[in-house]
Amino acid sequence: MIVAEGLGARIGEFELREVSFVVPAGKYGVVIGAAGSGKTTLLETIAGIIPMNGGVLKLGGRDMKGVPPEQRNAGIVYQHGYLFPHLSVEENVRYGAIDLSFADALAARIGASELYAREVRGLSGGERQLVAIARALAPRPQVLLLDEPFSALDPRRRTLVRREVRRVARELGITVLQVTHDFTEAGLLGDVAILIDQGRVLQSGPPEQLFREPASPYIAEFLGAENVYAGQVRYLDDAAPDWVEGVTDLLARGHRAIEFLTGGLRLYTVGDAPAGEGHAVIRAEEVLISAAPQESSARNQFKGVVSEIATTGALTRVTVGISSGEGGSGAPIVAALTTRSAQELVLREGSEVWASFKAMAVHLC
Amino acid sequence: MRQAHRAASVIAAFCGSIFLLFLVAPIARLIGAGGTDGLRHLFTDAELRSALALTALTATSATALAILGGTPLAYLLERRKFRGRALLAAVIDLPLLIPHPVAGIALLLVLGRQSLVGGTLLDLGIRVVGSPIGIVCAMLFVSAPLYVSATREAFARVDVRYEAVARSLGDPAWRAFRRVTLPLSARGLIAAGVVVWARAVSEFGAIVILTYNPKVASVLSYDRFTSYGLDEALPVAAVLAILAFVPLFLLRTLRASRGVAAFGQ
Repeated sequence: MIVAEGLGARIGEFELREVSFVVPAGKYGVVIGAAGSGKTTLLETIAGIIPMNGGVLKLGGRDMKGVPPEQRNAGIVYQHGYLFPHLSVEENVRYGAIDLSFADALAARIGASELYAREVRGLSGGERQLVAIARALAPRPQVLLLDEPFSALDPRRRTLVRREVRRVARELGITVLQVTHDFTEAGLLGDVAILIDQGRVLQSGPPEQLFREPASPYIAEFLGAENVYAGQVRYLDDAAPDWVEGVTDLLARGHRAIEFLTGGLRLYTVGDAPAGEGHAVIRAEEVLISAAPQESSARNQFKGVVSEIATTGALTRVTVGISSGEGGSGAPIVAALTTRSAQELVLREGSEVWASFKAMAVHLC
Repeated sequence: MRQAHRAASVIAAFCGSIFLLFLVAPIARLIGAGGTDGLRHLFTDAELRSALALTALTATSATALAILGGTPLAYLLERRKFRGRALLAAVIDLPLLIPHPVAGIALLLVLGRQSLVGGTLLDLGIRVVGSPIGIVCAMLFVSAPLYVSATREAFARVDVRYEAVARSLGDPAWRAFRRVTLPLSARGLIAAGVVVWARAVSEFGAIVILTYNPKVASVLSYDRFTSYGLDEALPVAAVLAILAFVPLFLLRTLRASRGVAAFGQ
């Protein structure tokens, strides 16, 4: 278990401030943030390499104040591996191991044992990462800190190794904290996601929550939400109109039907955001595109014209300029749909379509 | 454009050749004039043999002391951030800027018979001035800054994250240093030791103030020159030059054998 409460550290001019989060025992935490946001500094502070200058850090329930790195039982893997070049691959893997046969078996699982005969200097970046992961796991740490450990692996190997590391960590009850730039990876691996910026935690929680309910428009945009609108929140007089069916539990908890006005758009949602200025976030995956109006429970429905189509493999992002409808005109809405669906709709730039999304797809922050 | 490039190359080659000639010619002339005689003297001149043996012994002792005291100091200066670090580094470098006879005088003030330290050591039966210990002190004083500087550079080339990884794998600081930093910086440390040894062998100014007798090779060479003239000084000087060349050649061979990215990622 990793518990950080108001954790602080300083390295040069950079400062880690008031960092708080919890990764439960045996769970997988992911740290997301822009370059230079303090992700590696956070890992090094947890590992004891950078001294903390404030707050509380607990690993496995034990307070780490004044505990040197070698007594933390926390392995660290850097992006570049940092394999010891004066040792063989085998010696690297076994460096901190207590049980050598366990270390070798683990190296075999990760795919590092097949590199035993190779010289460290001759390894590729991806191979170095495999060996570094095996080396860090070999002493059976209670906490594993990974700094973009799969970045140099080819996509197929990345998937396999990622899965294996997750499996090993589960088997051994290791709590993992991994830095990543890859949102897909964060979503796949993370039980807890921690978004960090300029040395501060902006938001932490289950990745799903971070992506669907970002705490601010900055977080929403950082996490790749295409539809972020500034506007006005207004509570509706009718607190529970018919379209809020299915969310009675929310209404019971004090949420209300809301009208959000942004430019020419009028969005409907349910929430507890304060009235007045705010932001609405709609993830592109929540937006449906159809040739005709949907006869579904989708409360937000707009007619528009396709202004851009961007296909990346199996996914196609369609930008629709809203021209009319219940809301108004002008604001673009981006939808993400499968490329097959896009082809079936015979979408072209200039095509007239309907964009719709449910009230619950609108997150206010 | 091509002609200008060619002209620049010719000028650079000419300047480099003149510079090289300036460095090599005196040594070559010295060895040419006294080398054969000097090597013959090795078998017949007991004082020369004794001076060379004393030089080797004291230079080796000074190098060992420099390694013993300078390595932790260099590590501290390179790896730890503390108040007064720059001042400490400047103080360690100071002997490099002091004329060596002045360094000898300074040492005499601290280690001389009249001084507190020198007097106390003498009471304990340890004579510094006028003994091999004085020679070692003089050699150490003038060459130790070179060792600390070169060793710092060697440590700087080893990324601190290697140590961080070693410590995360269970090594206390000292064991991480022994298992990772030391082997990764070994070549740099050996090179620093060789530089210190060579510098100690060639030292004259500080030694001559502190310990004229027994004579090391540099003092013997000077003594022969002032007492008997150039002909007598030549063989001693030539042998010294030949013997000093050996560790330097070894050093360069060592450096050449080191891969460019030996310790990098």
